[in-house]
Order: sequence, then C-alpha cells, then structure tokens
Amino acid sequence: MKRVLSILGGLLLLCSSSYLAQKDEGPPFHAYVDSDLCARLMLGPITTARQECSVKTYKDGSNAVLVRLDDNTVFSVNKEKMVKEYVGGFGEAAGEVKVKSGTMKLQSFKPLDRGEIPPGPAQKLLDVRTYNAKGSAETHEKVRHELAMIPYITNFDFISFTMVGNDVILTGWTVRDTNRSDAEFRVKRVPGVANVINNIEILPLGGTDMEIRAAARAALQRNLSTYFWSNGSDIKIVVKNGTIILLGSVRTQQDSDIATVQCNSVSFVFHVFNMLRVTPPAPKDKG
Amino acid sequence: MNTSRYSLKTVPGWLCVIVAIAMTIGCSPAAETKAGVKKIAAGQEFSGFLKDYAALKPNPNLDGNALTFAAADAKQNLRSYFAIIVDPVEVYIATDADASKVSDDSRIALTNYFQHALIGAVSDAFPVVETPSPLTLRLRTALVGVDVGGQVAAGDAPPDAKPFERALNIGKVGVEMELVDSKTGERIAAMVDRTNLGDGAEVGAANFSRVQKFAAAREAFDEWASRVRTFLDSEHELKGDDALRADKSYQPYGSEMPKQ
Repeated sequence: MKRVLSILGGLLLLCSSSYLAQKDEGPPFHAYVDSDLCARLMLGPITTARQECSVKTYKDGSNAVLVRLDDNTVFSVNKEKMVKEYVGGFGEAAGEVKVKSGTMKLQSFKPLDRGEIPPGPAQKLLDVRTYNAKGSAETHEKVRHELAMIPYITNFDFISFTMVGNDVILTGWTVRDTNRSDAEFRVKRVPGVANVINNIEILPLGGTDMEIRAAARAALQRNLSTYFWSNGSDIKIVVKNGTIILLGSVRTQQDSDIATVQCNSVSFVFHVFNMLRVTPPAPKDKG
Repeated sequence: MNTSRYSLKTVPGWLCVIVAIAMTIGCSPAAETKAGVKKIAAGQEFSGFLKDYAALKPNPNLDGNALTFAAADAKQNLRSYFAIIVDPVEVYIATDADASKVSDDSRIALTNYFQHALIGAVSDAFPVVETPSPLTLRLRTALVGVDVGGQVAAGDAPPDAKPFERALNIGKVGVEMELVDSKTGERIAAMVDRTNLGDGAEVGAANFSRVQKFAAAREAFDEWASRVRTFLDSEHELKGDDALRADKSYQPYGSEMPKQ
C-alpha cells in the first residue's frame, strides 16, 4: 500500500511540475539583441547606428539584453552566454518572461536575419517611419514634467522616455521600486497618453555598488559642485555591477571629462560610460 | 612626593561600584527592568530612547501631536540615502507598570508586528538591507508607554492564535523613532508620535493580527507605520526652488545616438 501511494505521489509531483513548467513558458517572440545601455537610452528604430552602439557598449561591459520587437519591452536575461554572440542582431527567443520586473529565463534563442522577421508588429517597429509618428509636443512636455517631479528620484536614478504616436516607452534605471511604479502611474494619467511600456530597471543594491555610488557622488560633489544642489543634481550616477553610467548634462566638455576621470578613480569600477550631454548655457545665463 | 589624603587608592572598591551605579541610574531617564524591556523614569516627558529631543518641532503634514526633525544639511539629509536597515523595535513600559507581568512572548509579538508593519510601509521607497553602507539609514524605533493589560479569557482568541495569559495594553503608547546614518550614527531625522491611535487596544495573542478582538492594536500599529511613511514622503516632496531646478534640469534621452 505504501509503495502504491509513493508511486502515485511521485506521478502527481511529476505531472504538476511539468504543468508548471508549461505554464511558465511564454510564447516565443522576435527580439533584437542589444546592450543594456543602448536598449535603455536609444529608444527607437534599429538603425545601423543603434547596432554599432549595441556592439560597442557590449564590448565595453554593458550587459546583453533582449528587446521584444512587438512592443519594445526590454528583458534582462539569466543566460547571457546564449545571446552574447548575437549582440547587434536578431533572433527568436523563448522562455519565461516577467514583464513587471523586465526579466526573462531564457530557454532557447534562434538567430535570424533581419529579413526573416515576419510582417506584423515586430517588423513595424523596425521601420524608421513608425518612430516619426511623434505624439503632440504638449503631451510630451506634460510627460517630461511629471517624470521630473517624482519625489524619490535621487542622484542614482535616471528615468527617460520616448513617445511613439500616443504610446510612451519608459526606460532607465532606478534604485527604488516606488520610482518604477510611480513613473508609470504618473504618465498613465497624462491626457493624450494611450499606452505605457515600462522598461525601467530596478538596480541591485550589492555592497560594492553601494560603495561605488557613495564614492562617485562624493568625488563629483567635490570637483563639480555647481551641478549639485540640496535635493538633486544635474549629473546622474547610475551604477550597475561595477559599471558607472553618467547621465544628465554639464556646461562644458572639460566638466564632462572631469566627471569621467573622477569616476574612473573610484575603487572597484570596471568601466565608466559617460553619456553626459554638453549643453552650454544660454547667452543670458552667462557671467 | 606629596599625595592627597583622598586619592582613589584610599576609596574602598565597593563605594566606587555604588557611586557608578547611582550615577548611571541618575543620568538616564529610563532603566532596564528586564531583558528587552525598559521603564520610563517617573516625571519624564520622553523615554530617553532618542539622543536629543530639543530639535523636534510640530509637523503640519501630520495630524495630531507628532513632532519631527529632519537634517537640513545640503550634503547629508534624507534625500542623500535610499536604503534602510530596520532595527528590532524596543519597548518602554509605563512608569507604574509591573515589568514582571510583561512576558517575553507578548513583547516579541508586539515588536515583531510593528517591525514588519514599518518594513511594509517604507520598503518600496527605501529598500530594506542588512548591511550598513554610506547610503543606508538605520531606523531605530521604540514603543513608549506600554502597559500591562487584562487577563486573556479563554474565548478571546482561538488556540491557534496562541493566546497569552495576560495582554499588553497599548492604549497610551507613543512612538519614538530615529533615522541615523548606518555607518556614522549621525542623526538624519527623528519623529515622536504621541497621537493616541490605539485607545483601549490590547495585544493578547502571539498571532493577534488575525484575531478580531485585537484588531484595534493591529490598526494602531499599521497607522503608526503609515505615518512614518507620510513623514518620509513629505520630506522628499520637491518644493520651491528645488522643484524648479529639478524641472529645468531633467531632459530625457531619446532616439539619438548616445555620445561617448
């Protein structure tokens, strides 16, 4: 009797685990293999410039991610080695996706040529003309203002967005869950916004990254204090697994170079991506 | 060599010990009565849990009698931190309460629930971590004025809720909390919430949050935790020049090629 029960129990366990495995598997989708940096900063069509950016920044240390072509959702993958040789290319990916956290347990990846992407939403997002359908300037400004006013944004978060027609694609990095959900909540309320795709990544809070954040901020505050004020800064310091991404704007190229040098001097930093914009002050602000 | 008649060598050791004990008791407003429980000294307005009460001021963003403090230093204020360590909650019993009637089980039920409520209230804004770092705050909290409640009757809580012999009364409890730099211990913010939210509320079982009779206690703890979050939210709100500068400074990255 005991043996029969244990066999039945084993069968039940086997059935339930295979059912769960099936349930977790999402349908395969067409994807562009991107670097984390370009996927979150170069929102738009997959042009030659984008592909060059992907390959270069991946080589410099940015992680490989998948961009689902159907809707521009970015997924960090658990098995980067399955896709790393296809960065800058296309393919069909299958596995368990978690849209909320932007992660994917990759089970298979089949490389494809660009021409093999079938007609439909995936192909549409490869078309430059799709991105020319800009939303209204008024809606864009309202979205920008809403994101600028998120209260818990620190020096270590950067949230960006683009509009494709009336859809808003949110992207960037944050150290807080609440910023990810708050950004989506605020943008959804803006009149004129139809859909929101949330590609904001929650950054890990590893001990080394925390030390890097503190040291990088202290170094920049010491040397570029004009860009920091009591409750914020013009320079954002995104730290992920030992990599620093500098975002925001400075007034001169020299300041931008100082930022790179200062961040490179921080212990345990593998690479500094300087994405700072150099925006000279308007004539009336001079002097 | 001329030595004093009253040098320390001549003072008996037992006298030194007595003086030291007397000084310790005399200087602190609260005394440890038993493991994990302290008692508020008679006639004291505050428990002594916080390092300093002088800087606390009424906060218009919070109803009731909450007093708060937030550091205004441009380089070291609440916005300089984004992670938090939530320390176990400490208990200060009322001056006239009998400490021997406060069981460890009831104290642990009380403090565990409140610690979890605090974590739930703050964790999406301040991710909870365990290791001190330069960007991490430490939340120290005390429940002040806990009293011994009535005996728990057989029907007050189902057996699986593990009823205590005697409840803890939190009807006149206040909350004192402090956010300090987890590395240096420097105080960044503090709050004393004396709003009487839990009038008549008692904690009479280990799993009291599931028992209707003790619902008032659960609600009081949840409300206190929520007020801590309201305080943090109000301190993070962008106002005045900061809001203008943040708005002017923020430009999203679009589809252009990032320059390196």
